[in-house]
Amino acid sequence: MKRTPALFLLLIAGLAGAAHAAVAPRIQSPTADQPIFGEVEVVVGVSADEPVSRVEIFVNGVRRAVLTKPPFQTRIDVGDDNSSREFKVVAYGAAGGVGTHTVATDAIRIDEQMEVRLQQLFVTVTRGATSDSRRVLDLEQEDFRILDNGKPQEIITFGKGEVPLTAVLLLDTSESMQGERLEAARRGASVFLGGMRPDDEASLLMFSDRLLRATPFTQDRGELEQVLAETEAVGGTSVNDFLYMALKLLDSRIGRRAVILLSDGFDVHSVLPIDEVLWKARTSQSLIYWIQLDEEQKEKSFNSAWRDHKGNDHEYQTLKKTVEESGGRILNIQRIGELEHAFASILKELREQYVIGYYQTDFKKDGRWHKINVDVKRSGVKVRVREGYVDY
Amino acid sequence: MIDRGNSCLRYPDRSARLAVVALLGCCVLPLQAQQDPWSSPGVQVIDSSGGSGAGNSGAGESKREQVDRIEARYREILSAWVAGEVDRAPDDLIELEKSVVADGDPKSRKRLRDSEQAVIHELGATSLEVLVPIAMLHHETYSRHLARGIRQAPLAVTHARQMARDLAILYNQQSGSEGSAVVASRVLTSLGGMMMESAQQIPAAELFYQALELDGRNLAARLALATIYEKSAQPESAIKGLREVLKLDPDHAEARFRLAMNQKRMGDEAEAKKILNEMAAATDTGWVAPLVYQELARLYGGSGDWASAEKVLRTGLGRYPDHVRLHIELALVLDHRGSFGEAKTLLQKVLAMPPGSGGLSADNERLLYNSVRPETFSEARSILEDNSRSRLSVLAQALGTPTSGGEGGR
Repeated sequence: MKRTPALFLLLIAGLAGAAHAAVAPRIQSPTADQPIFGEVEVVVGVSADEPVSRVEIFVNGVRRAVLTKPPFQTRIDVGDDNSSREFKVVAYGAAGGVGTHTVATDAIRIDEQMEVRLQQLFVTVTRGATSDSRRVLDLEQEDFRILDNGKPQEIITFGKGEVPLTAVLLLDTSESMQGERLEAARRGASVFLGGMRPDDEASLLMFSDRLLRATPFTQDRGELEQVLAETEAVGGTSVNDFLYMALKLLDSRIGRRAVILLSDGFDVHSVLPIDEVLWKARTSQSLIYWIQLDEEQKEKSFNSAWRDHKGNDHEYQTLKKTVEESGGRILNIQRIGELEHAFASILKELREQYVIGYYQTDFKKDGRWHKINVDVKRSGVKVRVREGYVDY
Repeated sequence: MIDRGNSCLRYPDRSARLAVVALLGCCVLPLQAQQDPWSSPGVQVIDSSGGSGAGNSGAGESKREQVDRIEARYREILSAWVAGEVDRAPDDLIELEKSVVADGDPKSRKRLRDSEQAVIHELGATSLEVLVPIAMLHHETYSRHLARGIRQAPLAVTHARQMARDLAILYNQQSGSEGSAVVASRVLTSLGGMMMESAQQIPAAELFYQALELDGRNLAARLALATIYEKSAQPESAIKGLREVLKLDPDHAEARFRLAMNQKRMGDEAEAKKILNEMAAATDTGWVAPLVYQELARLYGGSGDWASAEKVLRTGLGRYPDHVRLHIELALVLDHRGSFGEAKTLLQKVLAMPPGSGGLSADNERLLYNSVRPETFSEARSILEDNSRSRLSVLAQALGTPTSGGEGGR
């Protein structure tokens, strides 16, 4: 990890005519959104129309340094934990003027720092062929063999249910969801949120042809539940646009990632074609689960202003493909009373997956498709994992 | 979900339309019957001898008594209509018609129709102009039926629509004036618009055809018909119709945009880009403007020109900084260009937008575009309402009742 580069700039330029702040400090280093840890050079510039008598530096509300003469810079050890920090300076003028400036630094996003060639696989192993079959939970690292484009890979990380989960609950709240359907969706989502562990995070995106409500990733179940309760069902359906958005938001998250999509899946209003979502999913490491309402509708065809029957059918089939390739699955719901169980079963499945990491050996960023195979040294079991990824 | 349905429409020349309607065969009545509803000035008098008893008739009520009751009640409702009871009159008419056809017997519906025709025939003998406010009443009745749900009384709904349509055509046939053609054309257009809203595309198309035969300058009917072609996967016919709209109104933004989209469907992406680029350069393209940026960027992206797509979307965001869909599309383009961090930042910005802001709730042009916009038909309804209002006194005179002084009859 890089240390913050030291900057030795100092600005003490009087601002003639500064009407509101006689003393105006500015933190020049570190800068906002910069990941910070260890010993950090803090550089403060002060603009003042009076002599500056003192500059105090606070980190997360604790005074860490007092500087009484320029240059106003010092080194402060902020510790090695990977977290965001607030730097605040207070500058005092000899004539009584006071000014402050605050900068918030970001935590390091682990995934951004890691090279993308680390591939994480979320592997579901069941005894039997159906998704409801009993899952096999007693496998160890040596029981797995990973093939990337047919080449065996060395397993670098191996975990089971203890890996934290980050989920986007992507709920179709278009007009067709009004009434009992929406209530059932709320109950189902609530079951999912209720099953989350303290170190899990979720974001709620409630969409129709537009984004109706959204939350950032949070562990605060109350915040999520509130948004869930407040949203009404209006408008058309834009699955593609918001599925892409969900996948993109998960890009920077750590560990096990999943999109839980609740929709009938008939996209009418998206600007993004499903092929773009498939492309995104192939460059992502997120699982997609699709709770599909009214399974019988899949045989119906329809036109929209954007696509004809054939085009819409392509969208539908490719959405299915996108879900299956990701390693998630489609849960067809015939009765809305089954929704709570569907959400609960997804959460249980996520908890019972193996999380396996490996470095791909022929990392080229050439945009080519890599086929993944996972073999298990156990007879009579079925393995479900994403089918591959785009080397991008 | 919305917008299901299919069709087998073609865009024919007028001379070929009869044959095409016959080919359609799906759900429209024979054209001749629609063009010539009550074929002579003398409306057929009821068949007092035929049919079974109408629903809700009193015990022992003869058919003649039932007919008398319907006619009397219909007169009362018309009187209420001219007296300005614009809520009560359509509601009462709904109740009357529902009660008569409640038994589901086609003869009951015929009896209802004949009874109302008898009253209209008598009133029309004083002045043809009475037909306009009566048509407006049935039009309003149909509108309310749809708002309540077709399934509640399907026969009554059909009856209401056909009465409004037949009165409009009859008015034009009997009057023969250019003004009557304009009014009749708007009645049919407005009815067609309501049918489109109810996803009844094919019968709506037939009404638009008829409306255009009456008045070729009826822009709403032309646009609606082109839209039906578009949604029926017939872009060639849609293009032809949209070019007609643009002849009437070269600045019609929705028509230009639809033209571009249909050109794209036809594979003429160069022409689509040309139209959309012209629209993007203009400043007064109204509610379709954000769609112009979205679709233009898609065209560039589709051909791998992500740089141009990015430029278009950044221009769009300059104009609509809180537009969610433009953010999402730009994020995808940036992903393709390798600017992953900025793409993510764009979407995080969307998440940070407060609920109810322009970003989270207002960018629903795609829904508007894919649906039927009531505004498309507002001019037709406005013309219809004005003409109905101005003729209320004539109807009042025929009925021998006072008017409300202007507001009645919508």
